Amino acid sequence: MNGILFRMELRRNARSLIMWTLIISALIFFTMSFFRTVLLYQQQIAGMIQIVPAVAVKMRGFSNINDIFSIMGFYTANNLIYMMLLGSIYAIMLSSNILLKEEYGKTAEYLMSRPITRNDIFYTKLFVAFLNVFILNVIATLVGFISIHIFKNTECDFYPFFVISLYTLFLNLLFGSLGVLISVLMKRARPVTSFCIALVMVLYFLHTISRMSGVDGTFGYISPYKWVDVSVSQPGYGLEGWRTAAFLGTIALLIAGAGFIYRKKDILT
Amino acid sequence: MNLLEINHLCKFYGGSLGIDDLNLSVAAGDIFGFIGPNGAGKSTTIRILLNLIFPTSGSARIFGLDVVRDSKKIRSRTGYVPSDASIYDRMKVMDFLKYVTSFYRVDNIQERIDRLLEVFDLDPGRKIAELSMGNKKKVSIIQAMIHRPELLILDEPTSGLDPLIQSRFFDLLHEENRQGTTIFFSSHTLSEVQSFCKTVAIIKEGKIVAVEEIATLRKKQLKKIQIHFPESRNIRDLGIQGIGQAESDRGRKLVFMFSGSINDLIGKLASQQIENLSIEEPSLEEIFLHYYK
Repeated sequence: MNGILFRMELRRNARSLIMWTLIISALIFFTMSFFRTVLLYQQQIAGMIQIVPAVAVKMRGFSNINDIFSIMGFYTANNLIYMMLLGSIYAIMLSSNILLKEEYGKTAEYLMSRPITRNDIFYTKLFVAFLNVFILNVIATLVGFISIHIFKNTECDFYPFFVISLYTLFLNLLFGSLGVLISVLMKRARPVTSFCIALVMVLYFLHTISRMSGVDGTFGYISPYKWVDVSVSQPGYGLEGWRTAAFLGTIALLIAGAGFIYRKKDILT
Repeated sequence: MNLLEINHLCKFYGGSLGIDDLNLSVAAGDIFGFIGPNGAGKSTTIRILLNLIFPTSGSARIFGLDVVRDSKKIRSRTGYVPSDASIYDRMKVMDFLKYVTSFYRVDNIQERIDRLLEVFDLDPGRKIAELSMGNKKKVSIIQAMIHRPELLILDEPTSGLDPLIQSRFFDLLHEENRQGTTIFFSSHTLSEVQSFCKTVAIIKEGKIVAVEEIATLRKKQLKKIQIHFPESRNIRDLGIQGIGQAESDRGRKLVFMFSGSINDLIGKLASQQIENLSIEEPSLEEIFLHYYK
């Protein structure tokens, strides 16, 4: 870790972090504010849902129809889109650019001619990317927590909330690691933003399709979205060992692979 | 003592050649010109020296340290001006220079920055994005010299600089050299380094074709001569010494490289009927073709 580079990178990425955090937090808060309205029109909505195919409900992120009328189910479905989808897009965009932008921005020669090792550059930049993702998650979780407190209709158990928040962080960090790996594999110095966003979307829809079709075999597990347990209303819901191990193990592998390649690669100029 | 040593260095980019079996040594305290046309392998060599890219085979040492294994130590004692790189556009000149300085331990740093800014007549409060190409080059040069490096690696450093600033820059380099800095100066223009460097290496198609003392090159005093005769002539009949391979246009227009005495040439031509005579500095390529084809 290099302190000078760390401060520089933190400054360079601050504007983007603030923007994403504000947008996602606002979306979470405003969407949660509709929960009371949903409850107000519960009967009508329930009636409408009867004629909506079950797959459409699942596609929207609800495990079952009744989740719409529980604050935790309502939050989880929205969290899936705002934090698991948008947060992952932020994480992969940030991490895929944090090393590569020095190369396509033609600043790499200035950075790498300083007395600093490749390891220092790699881990400092990765740390900044992960720190930004962590800050986004903490603030978004805090906004979610406050929103639930404000808009809940009954007392609720917050344990599932913290579990789903942790899964969301794991998912975002996994996409962050994937972005770094993609960036070091590039043979040309150009941004990979479009490819990375497309990758997140494809994996998200792969998971959605697997849920809708009810195919819960190995097919669905290609997507890391499948590794997140969103059934917050199920009794005994909690952090599962295999899911945590899958996330942390994959993150570690992706980082180790990316670091190994970065130490050996020619800088693109 | 050699400060820089390159041994059998090769670099291939996939199937295409960067440099091939390159051997070179630079003495401590030298001002070393590294000359070659675009694409000859100058920047590839420099990027290997700074470990920006890895050699396919061979090795290089600077300060006796391996450029791959000990790159951090080498870079702490080296300054580098890249040929074609961008500086962080959003930063102001002074912020960038302070950022660069923070990587090194330098005494009297503000004094050093002020002195360099004065030499290059640069406004430290301006944003880098607003600077012209020449002013960006000045920033690039300052950032390389700011920490008083023992070795300065300059890759085409004068492109974009006006003649006045170029002159100040060369004066500054001489001053640094007198204080012990070794200078490795890459350029595609021999005339640029001829008056400045002590030694020059010529690289072509990834290979070193010659390493010469500038004093030796100067003694050769190669000129490009063009003579228009009113009728066909064979220049060799005039018995002038130092005429290289001549190109002839039906014997009336002769073009050749000349390494002999200009007085002798003029004296011999004075008795001849000629329509036109031109004596030019040959291009780098022409010198290379003359000596090393």
